[in-house]
Amino acid sequence: MSVASTAAYAARRAAQKERVRILYRRALKDTLNWAVHRHLFYQDASDLRERFDGNKHVEDLDTIDKMIADGEASYNKWRHPDPYIVPWAPGGSKFTRNPTPPSGIEIVYNYGREDND
Amino acid sequence: MAAVGSALLKHLRLRVQVQAVPRNPSYALSFSAIRRRFFSEDVRGSFLDKSEVADRVISVVKNFQKVTPNANFQSDLGLDSLDTVEIVMALEEEFGFEIPDNEADKINSINLAVDFIASHPQAK
Repeated sequence: MSVASTAAYAARRAAQKERVRILYRRALKDTLNWAVHRHLFYQDASDLRERFDGNKHVEDLDTIDKMIADGEASYNKWRHPDPYIVPWAPGGSKFTRNPTPPSGIEIVYNYGREDND
Repeated sequence: MAAVGSALLKHLRLRVQVQAVPRNPSYALSFSAIRRRFFSEDVRGSFLDKSEVADRVISVVKNFQKVTPNANFQSDLGLDSLDTVEIVMALEEEFGFEIPDNEADKINSINLAVDFIASHPQAK
């Protein structure tokens, strides 16, 4: 690689590394969605890690791009239709279930005593 | 040369102590002899206490890595970037959390993780 393009090369590699990290994170969560029992999950997670580690030493930028695109395509193919989302997160079941009321509203506790004051 | 070597070996070799095994024709005495052999100190004392072993193993593992509150995952603890992703996922599961992808990428050290979790109101 020529010296002049080192900064661009480093920037592209950093972007690729970030994509790989996000892809690995999503794939790991998906694996947890599919393999709920822990011993199965550990097995599948180590297989996934092996697949990522096998391609760790590739240096060519275009090959890396192609491999990331392939990985994302296979991730999209294997996505779970009903993933586990933490309830209060967007997409979960408790999301915006009880939003905090606007600030000017308060409860006046005089039940039963309204006519007597 | 060989004679010197064998003489040296013979000098260094441990003397084998021959102990007279009590042989008794009666059945009861031989049974107690066997019992004494199996419950002697040499046989019984070779197993350690399990809790003691667990404590020592844990202290060894704790002292091995430089696990301090300021440890960066990659530079101090020698972890990979994929290992960092796994750690963040384990923290998410532990605290019942949900971290968006772009922010999960930035957690690189224990300090950042602690700050992030402490500042989130819904961490259990």
